[in-house]
Amino acid sequence: MSARDEGTRTAGAEAVPVLSAEGLTVRFGERTALTDVSIEIPRGYTVSIIGPAGSGKTTLLRSFNRMNEVIPGSSQAGTIRFAGRNLHSAAMDPAEVRRRIGMVFEDAALFPGSVFDNLAFGLRARGEEGDLHGIAEAALQAAGLWSEGAEILETRAGDLSAEERRRMCIARTLALKPDVLLVDEPTSTLDPAAASRVESLIHALRDDYTIVFATCDHTQAGRLSDLTAYLDSGRLLEYGPTQTLFTNPRNPRTEFYLTGRLQ
Amino acid sequence: MSAPARSRETHRVRRWLRALGGVAAGITLAALCMLAVVMLLNAGRGPDAGISAHSGLLAAVAGTLWLAILTAAIAVPVGVGAAVYLEEYAPRTRAWRFLASVLANLAGVPPVVYGIAGLALFVRGMGLGPSILAGGLTLGVLTVPRVIANSRRALASVPESLRWNALALGATRWQVVREQVLRAAAAGIVKGCSAALVRAVGAAAPLLIIGAASFTTFAPVSPSDPLTSLPTQIFAWTARPQAGFPALAAGASVTLLFVMALIGLVLWDIRRRHGEARR
Repeated sequence: MSARDEGTRTAGAEAVPVLSAEGLTVRFGERTALTDVSIEIPRGYTVSIIGPAGSGKTTLLRSFNRMNEVIPGSSQAGTIRFAGRNLHSAAMDPAEVRRRIGMVFEDAALFPGSVFDNLAFGLRARGEEGDLHGIAEAALQAAGLWSEGAEILETRAGDLSAEERRRMCIARTLALKPDVLLVDEPTSTLDPAAASRVESLIHALRDDYTIVFATCDHTQAGRLSDLTAYLDSGRLLEYGPTQTLFTNPRNPRTEFYLTGRLQ
Repeated sequence: MSAPARSRETHRVRRWLRALGGVAAGITLAALCMLAVVMLLNAGRGPDAGISAHSGLLAAVAGTLWLAILTAAIAVPVGVGAAVYLEEYAPRTRAWRFLASVLANLAGVPPVVYGIAGLALFVRGMGLGPSILAGGLTLGVLTVPRVIANSRRALASVPESLRWNALALGATRWQVVREQVLRAAAAGIVKGCSAALVRAVGAAAPLLIIGAASFTTFAPVSPSDPLTSLPTQIFAWTARPQAGFPALAAGASVTLLFVMALIGLVLWDIRRRHGEARR
Protein backbone atom coordinates (compact mmCIF):
# COMPACT_ATOMS: atom_id res chain seq x y z
CA MET A 1 0.00 0.00 0.00
CA SER A 2 1.45 3.34 -1.03
CA ALA A 3 1.71 6.34 1.26
CA ARG A 4 -1.17 7.87 -0.66
CA ASP A 5 -3.53 5.12 0.42
CA GLU A 6 -2.98 5.45 4.12
CA GLY A 7 -5.73 7.97 4.58
CA THR A 8 -6.22 11.45 5.81
CA ARG A 9 -5.93 11.00 9.58
CA THR A 10 -2.34 9.79 9.45
CA ALA A 11 -1.35 11.98 6.54
CA GLY A 12 -2.81 15.03 8.28
CA ALA A 13 -0.54 14.46 11.23
CA GLU A 14 2.66 14.99 9.26
CA ALA A 15 1.70 17.90 7.02
CA VAL A 16 -0.81 20.70 6.95
CA PRO A 17 -3.67 19.62 4.67
CA VAL A 18 -4.09 21.82 1.60
CA LEU A 19 -7.79 22.15 2.32
CA SER A 20 -9.77 21.48 5.45
CA ALA A 21 -13.29 22.10 6.65
CA GLU A 22 -14.32 22.17 10.29
CA GLY A 23 -17.93 22.00 11.38
CA LEU A 24 -19.05 23.31 8.00
CA THR A 25 -22.77 24.03 7.73
CA VAL A 26 -24.17 25.67 4.60
CA ARG A 27 -27.72 26.92 4.20
CA PHE A 28 -29.58 28.31 1.21
CA GLY A 29 -32.45 30.25 2.72
CA GLU A 30 -34.42 27.74 4.79
CA ARG A 31 -32.78 24.70 3.22
CA THR A 32 -29.71 23.19 4.88
CA ALA A 33 -27.38 21.73 2.24
CA LEU A 34 -24.47 20.68 4.49
CA THR A 35 -24.54 19.92 8.21
CA ASP A 36 -21.43 19.94 10.40
CA VAL A 37 -19.01 18.58 7.81
CA SER A 38 -15.37 18.18 8.84
CA ILE A 39 -12.91 16.92 6.25
CA GLU A 40 -9.22 17.26 5.41
CA ILE A 41 -7.77 17.13 1.89
CA PRO A 42 -4.06 16.22 2.02
CA ARG A 43 -1.82 17.79 -0.62
CA GLY A 44 -1.25 15.70 -3.71
CA TYR A 45 -4.18 13.35 -3.10
CA THR A 46 -7.18 12.76 -5.29
CA VAL A 47 -10.39 12.79 -3.28
CA SER A 48 -13.79 11.75 -4.54
CA ILE A 49 -17.09 12.83 -3.05
CA ILE A 50 -19.90 10.35 -3.60
CA GLY A 51 -23.48 10.19 -2.45
CA PRO A 52 -27.05 10.28 -3.69
CA ALA A 53 -28.42 13.24 -5.70
CA GLY A 54 -29.02 16.25 -3.46
CA SER A 55 -26.64 15.03 -0.77
CA GLY A 56 -24.53 18.22 -0.91
CA LYS A 57 -21.62 17.09 -3.13
CA THR A 58 -21.64 20.20 -5.30
CA THR A 59 -22.18 22.48 -2.29
CA LEU A 60 -19.11 21.00 -0.58
CA LEU A 61 -17.01 21.55 -3.72
CA ARG A 62 -18.29 25.10 -4.08
CA SER A 63 -17.53 25.97 -0.48
CA PHE A 64 -13.84 25.15 -1.11
CA ASN A 65 -13.48 28.08 -3.53
CA ARG A 66 -16.04 30.43 -2.02
CA MET A 67 -18.55 29.98 -4.82
CA ASN A 68 -21.52 29.49 -2.48
CA GLU A 69 -21.44 33.09 -1.35
CA VAL A 70 -22.43 34.29 -4.82
CA ILE A 71 -25.78 32.54 -4.43
CA PRO A 72 -28.32 34.94 -2.89
CA GLY A 73 -29.61 33.74 0.48
CA SER A 74 -26.67 31.45 1.25
CA SER A 75 -25.13 31.41 4.70
CA GLN A 76 -22.29 29.45 6.23
CA ALA A 77 -21.02 28.40 9.63
CA GLY A 78 -17.74 26.66 10.44
CA THR A 79 -14.21 27.18 9.17
CA ILE A 80 -12.51 26.29 5.91
CA ARG A 81 -8.74 26.51 5.74
CA PHE A 82 -6.55 26.66 2.66
CA ALA A 83 -2.96 25.71 3.49
CA GLY A 84 -3.69 26.58 7.10
CA ARG A 85 -5.16 30.02 6.41
CA ASN A 86 -8.81 30.85 6.99
CA LEU A 87 -10.47 31.01 3.58
CA HIS A 88 -12.87 33.72 4.75
CA SER A 89 -10.42 36.01 6.54
CA ALA A 90 -10.39 39.64 5.43
CA ALA A 91 -6.93 39.23 3.88
CA MET A 92 -8.24 36.57 1.45
CA ASP A 93 -9.35 37.98 -1.89
CA PRO A 94 -12.15 35.74 -3.22
CA ALA A 95 -10.89 36.19 -6.80
CA GLU A 96 -7.40 35.04 -5.76
CA VAL A 97 -8.91 32.09 -3.85
CA ARG A 98 -10.75 31.01 -7.00
CA ARG A 99 -7.60 31.23 -9.11
CA ARG A 100 -5.63 29.07 -6.66
CA ILE A 101 -8.50 26.63 -6.13
CA GLY A 102 -9.89 26.18 -9.63
CA MET A 103 -13.28 24.67 -10.31
CA VAL A 104 -14.74 22.93 -13.34
CA PHE A 105 -18.54 22.99 -13.15
CA GLU A 106 -20.87 20.26 -14.26
CA ASP A 107 -22.76 22.89 -16.27
CA ALA A 108 -19.67 24.26 -18.00
CA ALA A 109 -20.89 27.40 -19.76
CA LEU A 110 -18.93 28.42 -22.83
CA PHE A 111 -17.99 32.06 -23.19
CA PRO A 112 -18.89 33.67 -26.51
CA GLY A 113 -16.02 33.69 -28.99
CA SER A 114 -13.14 31.34 -29.77
CA VAL A 115 -11.37 28.75 -27.66
CA PHE A 116 -8.58 31.29 -27.21
CA ASP A 117 -11.07 33.89 -25.94
CA ASN A 118 -12.29 31.33 -23.44
CA LEU A 119 -8.79 30.66 -22.10
CA ALA A 120 -7.67 34.27 -22.20
CA PHE A 121 -10.58 35.52 -20.07
CA GLY A 122 -9.26 34.22 -16.75
CA LEU A 123 -5.69 35.21 -17.62
CA ARG A 124 -6.66 38.77 -18.54
CA ALA A 125 -8.85 39.00 -15.43
CA ARG A 126 -5.79 38.50 -13.24
CA GLY A 127 -3.87 41.10 -15.27
CA GLU A 128 -1.66 38.65 -17.16
CA GLU A 129 0.35 40.56 -19.74
CA GLY A 130 2.75 37.81 -20.76
CA ASP A 131 2.48 35.34 -23.62
CA LEU A 132 -1.25 34.50 -23.55
CA HIS A 133 -0.91 32.20 -26.57
CA GLY A 134 1.92 30.26 -24.94
CA ILE A 135 -0.03 29.79 -21.69
CA ALA A 136 -3.15 28.80 -23.63
CA GLU A 137 -1.17 26.28 -25.68
CA ALA A 138 0.33 24.66 -22.58
CA ALA A 139 -3.09 24.42 -20.92
CA LEU A 140 -4.73 22.96 -24.03
CA GLN A 141 -1.91 20.41 -24.34
CA ALA A 142 -2.37 19.41 -20.71
CA ALA A 143 -6.10 18.96 -21.36
CA GLY A 144 -5.48 16.93 -24.53
CA LEU A 145 -6.93 19.48 -26.95
CA TRP A 146 -3.79 20.26 -28.93
CA SER A 147 -3.72 17.17 -31.16
CA GLU A 148 -4.72 19.18 -34.22
CA GLY A 149 -2.34 22.03 -33.51
CA ALA A 150 -2.84 25.76 -33.20
CA GLU A 151 -6.06 25.66 -35.24
CA ILE A 152 -7.98 24.90 -32.08
CA LEU A 153 -7.28 28.41 -30.72
CA GLU A 154 -9.37 30.06 -33.41
CA THR A 155 -12.19 27.49 -33.32
CA ARG A 156 -15.48 28.85 -32.07
CA ALA A 157 -16.17 27.34 -28.64
CA GLY A 158 -19.74 26.60 -29.75
CA ASP A 159 -18.45 24.34 -32.54
CA LEU A 160 -16.68 21.94 -30.15
CA SER A 161 -18.08 18.49 -29.33
CA ALA A 162 -19.30 17.73 -25.81
CA GLU A 163 -15.99 16.03 -24.98
CA GLU A 164 -13.92 18.91 -26.38
CA ARG A 165 -16.04 21.39 -24.44
CA ARG A 166 -15.35 19.54 -21.22
CA ARG A 167 -11.63 19.47 -22.04
CA MET A 168 -11.67 23.18 -22.87
CA CYS A 169 -13.30 24.01 -19.53
CA ILE A 170 -10.61 21.98 -17.77
CA ALA A 171 -7.94 23.82 -19.82
CA ARG A 172 -9.53 27.18 -18.86
CA THR A 173 -8.94 26.31 -15.22
CA LEU A 174 -5.48 24.76 -15.75
CA ALA A 175 -4.29 27.90 -17.55
CA LEU A 176 -4.36 29.70 -14.17
CA LYS A 177 -2.02 27.09 -12.64
CA PRO A 178 -4.20 26.35 -9.59
CA ASP A 179 -2.99 24.50 -6.49
CA VAL A 180 -6.17 22.49 -6.24
CA LEU A 181 -8.57 21.33 -8.94
CA LEU A 182 -12.25 20.92 -8.04
CA VAL A 183 -14.23 18.99 -10.65
CA ASP A 184 -17.98 18.51 -10.45
CA GLU A 185 -19.19 15.39 -12.26
CA PRO A 186 -16.19 15.12 -14.64
CA THR A 187 -17.92 12.88 -17.17
CA SER A 188 -21.65 13.58 -16.90
CA THR A 189 -23.48 14.15 -20.22
CA LEU A 190 -20.66 12.37 -22.13
CA ASP A 191 -21.09 9.13 -24.04
CA PRO A 192 -19.25 6.13 -22.55
CA ALA A 193 -16.25 6.32 -24.90
CA ALA A 194 -15.76 10.06 -24.34
CA ALA A 195 -16.36 9.60 -20.62
CA SER A 196 -13.56 7.06 -20.37
CA ARG A 197 -11.18 9.34 -22.31
CA VAL A 198 -11.94 12.31 -20.01
CA GLU A 199 -11.50 9.98 -17.05
CA SER A 200 -8.03 9.14 -18.35
CA LEU A 201 -7.29 12.85 -18.51
CA ILE A 202 -8.26 13.28 -14.84
CA HIS A 203 -6.12 10.26 -14.04
CA ALA A 204 -3.15 11.89 -15.79
CA LEU A 205 -3.70 15.17 -13.92
CA ARG A 206 -3.49 13.34 -10.57
CA ASP A 207 0.29 13.49 -10.70
CA ASP A 208 0.38 17.30 -10.88
CA TYR A 209 -2.60 18.48 -8.88
CA THR A 210 -4.54 17.91 -5.72
CA ILE A 211 -7.95 16.97 -7.12
CA VAL A 212 -11.33 16.90 -5.42
CA PHE A 213 -14.17 15.65 -7.58
CA ALA A 214 -17.83 14.86 -7.06
CA THR A 215 -19.43 11.99 -8.91
CA CYS A 216 -22.70 10.03 -9.03
CA ASP A 217 -20.78 7.10 -10.46
CA HIS A 218 -19.09 5.40 -7.52
CA THR A 219 -17.21 3.01 -9.79
CA GLN A 220 -15.49 6.11 -11.17
CA ALA A 221 -14.61 7.14 -7.61
CA GLY A 222 -13.08 3.69 -7.18
CA ARG A 223 -10.99 4.02 -10.33
CA LEU A 224 -9.73 7.57 -9.77
CA SER A 225 -9.48 8.47 -6.11
CA ASP A 226 -7.14 7.80 -3.19
CA LEU A 227 -9.69 8.90 -0.63
CA THR A 228 -13.47 8.80 -0.79
CA ALA A 229 -16.01 10.81 1.16
CA TYR A 230 -19.58 9.56 1.40
CA LEU A 231 -22.15 12.34 1.81
CA ASP A 232 -25.75 11.60 2.72
CA SER A 233 -28.41 14.32 3.22
CA GLY A 234 -25.71 16.93 3.80
CA ARG A 235 -23.79 14.91 6.39
CA LEU A 236 -20.37 13.35 5.92
CA LEU A 237 -21.07 9.76 6.98
CA GLU A 238 -17.75 8.22 6.05
CA TYR A 239 -14.35 9.34 4.81
CA GLY A 240 -11.26 7.26 4.28
CA PRO A 241 -9.04 5.40 1.82
CA THR A 242 -11.10 4.48 -1.22
CA GLN A 243 -10.22 0.78 -1.03
CA THR A 244 -11.23 0.45 2.60
CA LEU A 245 -14.45 2.39 2.10
CA PHE A 246 -15.46 0.27 -0.86
CA THR A 247 -14.50 -3.14 0.57
CA ASN A 248 -15.25 -2.64 4.22
CA PRO A 249 -17.51 0.33 4.85
CA ARG A 250 -18.07 1.18 8.51
CA ASN A 251 -21.42 2.90 8.08
CA PRO A 252 -24.33 0.68 6.99
CA ARG A 253 -25.74 3.51 4.82
CA THR A 254 -22.46 3.65 2.89
CA GLU A 255 -22.77 -0.04 2.23
CA PHE A 256 -26.42 0.34 1.18
CA TYR A 257 -25.46 3.12 -1.22
CA LEU A 258 -22.54 1.23 -2.75
CA THR A 259 -24.59 -1.92 -3.20
CA GLY A 260 -27.61 -0.08 -4.60
CA ARG A 261 -29.92 -0.85 -1.68
CA LEU A 262 -30.31 2.69 -0.33
CA GLN A 263 -33.99 3.54 0.12
CA MET B 1 -50.21 4.36 -36.48
CA SER B 2 -47.03 3.50 -38.36
CA ALA B 3 -44.08 5.83 -38.36
CA PRO B 4 -44.32 6.89 -42.03
CA ALA B 5 -48.05 7.67 -41.61
CA ARG B 6 -47.33 9.81 -38.58
CA SER B 7 -44.60 11.64 -40.46
CA ARG B 8 -47.00 12.26 -43.39
CA GLU B 9 -49.51 13.67 -40.93
CA THR B 10 -46.90 15.98 -39.38
CA HIS B 11 -46.01 17.07 -42.87
CA ARG B 12 -49.62 17.93 -43.69
CA VAL B 13 -50.08 19.87 -40.44
CA ARG B 14 -46.94 21.80 -41.11
CA ARG B 15 -48.10 22.68 -44.64
CA TRP B 16 -51.41 23.96 -43.26
CA LEU B 17 -49.69 26.02 -40.61
CA ARG B 18 -47.37 27.52 -43.18
CA ALA B 19 -50.32 28.47 -45.40
CA LEU B 20 -52.10 30.01 -42.41
CA GLY B 21 -49.01 32.05 -41.57
CA GLY B 22 -48.78 33.20 -45.18
CA VAL B 23 -52.41 34.36 -45.20
CA ALA B 24 -51.93 36.28 -41.94
CA ALA B 25 -48.79 37.96 -43.24
CA GLY B 26 -50.57 38.78 -46.51
CA ILE B 27 -53.52 40.44 -44.74
CA THR B 28 -51.15 42.56 -42.62
CA LEU B 29 -49.14 43.57 -45.66
CA ALA B 30 -52.26 44.39 -47.67
CA ALA B 31 -53.58 46.58 -44.85
CA LEU B 32 -50.30 48.45 -44.68
CA CYS B 33 -50.22 48.93 -48.46
CA MET B 34 -53.79 50.22 -48.44
CA LEU B 35 -52.88 52.69 -45.67
CA ALA B 36 -49.91 53.91 -47.68
CA VAL B 37 -51.96 54.25 -50.86
CA VAL B 38 -54.71 56.22 -49.07
CA MET B 39 -52.12 58.51 -47.52
CA LEU B 40 -50.30 59.00 -50.80
CA LEU B 41 -53.57 59.75 -52.64
CA ASN B 42 -54.50 62.28 -50.00
CA ALA B 43 -51.05 63.82 -50.09
CA GLY B 44 -51.15 63.87 -53.88
CA ARG B 45 -54.27 66.01 -53.93
CA GLY B 46 -51.89 68.80 -53.15
CA PRO B 47 -52.20 71.92 -51.11
CA ASP B 48 -54.81 74.28 -52.41
CA ALA B 49 -55.36 76.72 -49.58
CA GLY B 50 -53.25 79.81 -49.01
CA ILE B 51 -50.99 79.08 -46.07
CA SER B 52 -50.83 75.33 -46.55
CA ALA B 53 -48.93 75.79 -49.81
CA HIS B 54 -46.06 77.25 -47.85
CA SER B 55 -46.12 74.64 -45.09
CA GLY B 56 -43.07 72.38 -45.14
CA LEU B 57 -41.78 69.45 -43.13
CA LEU B 58 -38.09 70.26 -42.78
CA ALA B 59 -38.51 71.73 -39.28
CA ALA B 60 -40.58 68.76 -38.08
CA VAL B 61 -38.15 66.16 -39.50
CA ALA B 62 -35.16 67.94 -37.97
CA GLY B 63 -37.01 68.21 -34.65
CA THR B 64 -37.81 64.50 -34.66
CA LEU B 65 -34.17 63.57 -35.33
CA TRP B 66 -33.03 65.91 -32.54
CA LEU B 67 -35.54 64.31 -30.16
CA ALA B 68 -34.40 60.79 -31.12
CA ILE B 69 -30.76 61.65 -30.40
CA LEU B 70 -31.51 63.40 -27.09
CA THR B 71 -33.83 60.63 -25.93
CA ALA B 72 -31.25 57.96 -26.73
CA ALA B 73 -28.46 59.95 -25.06
CA ILE B 74 -30.48 60.11 -21.83
CA ALA B 75 -32.42 56.86 -21.74
CA VAL B 76 -29.79 54.35 -22.94
CA PRO B 77 -26.96 55.03 -20.44
CA VAL B 78 -29.28 55.64 -17.49
CA GLY B 79 -31.62 52.75 -18.34
CA VAL B 80 -28.96 50.15 -19.14
CA GLY B 81 -26.88 51.24 -16.13
CA ALA B 82 -29.86 50.91 -13.81
CA ALA B 83 -30.73 47.51 -15.27
CA VAL B 84 -27.16 46.24 -14.77
CA TYR B 85 -27.20 47.47 -11.17
CA LEU B 86 -30.57 45.89 -10.42
CA GLU B 87 -29.81 42.53 -12.05
CA GLU B 88 -26.11 42.06 -11.34
CA TYR B 89 -25.28 43.95 -8.15
CA ALA B 90 -28.17 44.96 -5.93
CA PRO B 91 -28.95 42.48 -3.13
CA ARG B 92 -32.49 41.12 -3.38
CA THR B 93 -33.87 42.88 -0.31
CA ARG B 94 -37.40 44.11 0.32
CA ALA B 95 -36.28 47.57 -0.85
CA TRP B 96 -35.09 45.99 -4.12
CA ARG B 97 -38.47 44.38 -4.71
CA PHE B 98 -40.20 47.70 -3.98
CA LEU B 99 -37.92 49.62 -6.36
CA ALA B 100 -38.29 46.97 -9.07
CA SER B 101 -42.08 47.08 -8.90
CA VAL B 102 -42.13 50.92 -8.94
CA LEU B 103 -39.93 50.90 -12.06
CA ALA B 104 -42.11 48.28 -13.72
CA ASN B 105 -45.18 50.41 -13.00
CA LEU B 106 -43.48 53.55 -14.33
CA ALA B 107 -43.01 51.74 -17.65
CA GLY B 108 -46.79 51.44 -17.82
CA VAL B 109 -47.66 55.07 -16.97
CA PRO B 110 -49.34 56.77 -19.98
CA PRO B 111 -47.08 59.22 -21.87
CA VAL B 112 -49.53 62.09 -21.21
CA VAL B 113 -48.64 61.96 -17.51
CA TYR B 114 -44.95 62.33 -18.38
CA GLY B 115 -45.93 65.35 -20.46
CA ILE B 116 -47.47 67.04 -17.43
CA ALA B 117 -44.41 66.20 -15.32
CA GLY B 118 -42.13 67.51 -18.09
CA LEU B 119 -44.13 70.74 -18.30
CA ALA B 120 -43.80 71.35 -14.56
CA LEU B 121 -40.19 70.21 -14.22
CA PHE B 122 -38.32 71.11 -17.40
CA VAL B 123 -40.38 73.80 -19.14
CA ARG B 124 -41.30 75.83 -16.03
CA GLY B 125 -39.16 74.53 -13.15
CA MET B 126 -35.84 74.62 -14.99
CA GLY B 127 -37.01 77.43 -17.23
CA LEU B 128 -36.15 75.64 -20.47
CA GLY B 129 -39.36 76.80 -22.13
CA PRO B 130 -41.08 74.74 -24.82
CA SER B 131 -37.75 73.82 -26.42
CA ILE B 132 -36.32 70.76 -28.12
CA LEU B 133 -34.22 70.17 -24.99
CA ALA B 134 -37.30 70.15 -22.73
CA GLY B 135 -38.99 67.73 -25.15
CA GLY B 136 -35.92 65.48 -25.31
CA LEU B 137 -35.62 65.40 -21.52
CA THR B 138 -39.30 64.51 -21.18
CA LEU B 139 -39.10 61.74 -23.77
CA GLY B 140 -35.85 60.57 -22.16
CA VAL B 141 -37.45 60.26 -18.72
CA LEU B 142 -40.44 58.52 -20.27
CA THR B 143 -38.17 56.03 -22.04
CA VAL B 144 -35.87 55.17 -19.10
CA PRO B 145 -38.30 52.74 -17.36
CA ARG B 146 -38.94 50.92 -20.63
CA VAL B 147 -35.22 50.61 -21.34
CA ILE B 148 -34.74 49.30 -17.78
CA ALA B 149 -37.52 46.74 -18.17
CA ASN B 150 -36.28 45.51 -21.57
CA SER B 151 -32.60 45.43 -20.54
CA ARG B 152 -33.39 43.59 -17.31
CA ARG B 153 -35.20 40.94 -19.31
CA ALA B 154 -32.14 40.54 -21.58
CA LEU B 155 -29.76 40.28 -18.59
CA ALA B 156 -32.02 37.84 -16.75
CA SER B 157 -31.99 35.52 -19.77
CA VAL B 158 -28.20 35.06 -19.47
CA PRO B 159 -27.77 31.68 -17.74
CA GLU B 160 -26.45 31.85 -14.17
CA SER B 161 -23.83 29.22 -15.03
CA LEU B 162 -22.06 31.71 -17.33
CA ARG B 163 -21.56 34.06 -14.36
CA TRP B 164 -20.42 31.18 -12.12
CA ASN B 165 -17.91 29.88 -14.65
CA ALA B 166 -16.47 33.36 -15.14
CA LEU B 167 -16.32 34.10 -11.40
CA ALA B 168 -14.65 30.75 -10.70
CA LEU B 169 -11.80 31.78 -13.01
CA GLY B 170 -10.92 34.54 -10.55
CA ALA B 171 -12.69 37.43 -12.27
CA THR B 172 -14.25 40.28 -10.35
CA ARG B 173 -17.97 41.03 -10.54
CA TRP B 174 -17.35 43.92 -12.92
CA GLN B 175 -15.05 41.86 -15.19
CA VAL B 176 -17.74 39.17 -15.39
CA VAL B 177 -20.45 41.73 -16.18
CA ARG B 178 -18.40 43.66 -18.73
CA GLU B 179 -16.67 40.80 -20.54
CA GLN B 180 -19.28 38.05 -20.44
CA VAL B 181 -22.76 39.02 -19.25
CA LEU B 182 -23.08 42.24 -21.28
CA ARG B 183 -21.67 40.54 -24.35
CA ALA B 184 -24.09 37.66 -24.01
CA ALA B 185 -27.01 40.04 -23.47
CA ALA B 186 -25.93 42.67 -26.04
CA ALA B 187 -28.34 41.64 -28.79
CA GLY B 188 -31.31 41.64 -26.39
CA ILE B 189 -30.35 44.98 -24.85
CA VAL B 190 -29.95 46.72 -28.22
CA LYS B 191 -33.26 45.26 -29.35
CA GLY B 192 -34.99 46.40 -26.15
CA CYS B 193 -33.53 49.91 -26.44
CA SER B 194 -34.62 50.14 -30.09
CA ALA B 195 -38.20 49.18 -29.25
CA ALA B 196 -38.37 51.77 -26.45
CA LEU B 197 -36.78 54.51 -28.60
CA VAL B 198 -39.03 53.97 -31.59
CA ARG B 199 -42.07 54.27 -29.33
CA ALA B 200 -40.78 57.52 -27.81
CA VAL B 201 -40.06 59.09 -31.19
CA GLY B 202 -43.60 58.34 -32.34
CA ALA B 203 -45.23 59.87 -29.26
CA ALA B 204 -47.19 63.12 -29.71
CA ALA B 205 -49.15 63.52 -26.45
CA PRO B 206 -46.33 64.49 -24.03
CA LEU B 207 -44.88 67.00 -26.51
CA LEU B 208 -48.28 68.62 -27.13
CA ILE B 209 -48.65 69.18 -23.39
CA ILE B 210 -45.19 70.70 -23.11
CA GLY B 211 -46.18 73.04 -25.93
CA ALA B 212 -44.89 71.93 -29.29
CA ALA B 213 -44.98 74.66 -31.92
CA SER B 214 -47.32 73.99 -34.84
CA PHE B 215 -45.89 76.87 -36.82
CA THR B 216 -42.16 77.37 -37.15
CA THR B 217 -40.32 79.40 -39.76
CA PHE B 218 -36.97 77.67 -39.45
CA ALA B 219 -35.61 74.19 -38.78
CA PRO B 220 -34.17 73.66 -35.29
CA VAL B 221 -30.39 73.70 -35.30
CA SER B 222 -29.80 73.45 -31.55
CA PRO B 223 -31.64 71.91 -28.58
CA SER B 224 -32.70 75.36 -27.37
CA ASP B 225 -34.80 76.02 -30.47
CA PRO B 226 -38.62 75.75 -30.29
CA LEU B 227 -39.96 72.23 -29.94
CA THR B 228 -41.38 70.68 -33.09
CA SER B 229 -41.68 67.09 -34.31
CA LEU B 230 -43.48 65.07 -36.94
CA PRO B 231 -46.20 63.55 -34.71
CA THR B 232 -47.11 66.93 -33.19
CA GLN B 233 -47.05 68.57 -36.64
CA ILE B 234 -49.44 65.92 -37.96
CA PHE B 235 -51.71 66.50 -34.99
CA ALA B 236 -51.66 70.28 -35.52
CA TRP B 237 -52.45 70.00 -39.23
CA THR B 238 -55.34 67.56 -38.78
CA ALA B 239 -56.90 70.07 -36.38
CA ARG B 240 -56.97 72.87 -39.02
CA PRO B 241 -60.23 73.46 -40.92
CA GLN B 242 -58.75 74.60 -44.27
CA ALA B 243 -58.92 72.13 -47.17
CA GLY B 244 -55.18 71.77 -47.82
CA PHE B 245 -54.18 70.63 -44.35
CA PRO B 246 -55.60 67.05 -44.32
CA ALA B 247 -53.44 66.43 -47.38
CA LEU B 248 -50.44 67.87 -45.60
CA ALA B 249 -51.14 65.68 -42.55
CA ALA B 250 -51.31 62.61 -44.78
CA GLY B 251 -48.05 63.53 -46.44
CA ALA B 252 -46.45 64.11 -43.05
CA SER B 253 -47.68 60.68 -41.89
CA VAL B 254 -45.92 59.03 -44.83
CA THR B 255 -42.80 61.01 -43.94
CA LEU B 256 -43.09 59.95 -40.29
CA LEU B 257 -43.29 56.29 -41.28
CA PHE B 258 -40.29 56.83 -43.51
CA VAL B 259 -38.27 58.50 -40.73
CA MET B 260 -39.24 55.75 -38.29
CA ALA B 261 -38.16 53.15 -40.84
CA LEU B 262 -34.87 55.00 -41.23
CA ILE B 263 -34.26 55.04 -37.45
CA GLY B 264 -35.27 51.39 -37.31
CA LEU B 265 -32.78 50.60 -40.07
CA VAL B 266 -29.93 52.33 -38.21
CA LEU B 267 -30.78 50.40 -35.03
CA TRP B 268 -31.09 47.15 -36.99
CA ASP B 269 -27.63 47.73 -38.43
CA ILE B 270 -26.19 48.26 -34.93
CA ARG B 271 -27.89 45.06 -33.82
CA ARG B 272 -26.60 43.12 -36.81
CA ARG B 273 -23.02 44.23 -36.26
CA HIS B 274 -23.28 43.41 -32.55
CA GLY B 275 -24.56 39.96 -33.41
CA GLU B 276 -21.58 39.38 -35.67
CA ALA B 277 -19.14 40.66 -33.09
CA ARG B 278 -20.42 38.12 -30.61
CA ARG B 279 -19.58 35.20 -32.85
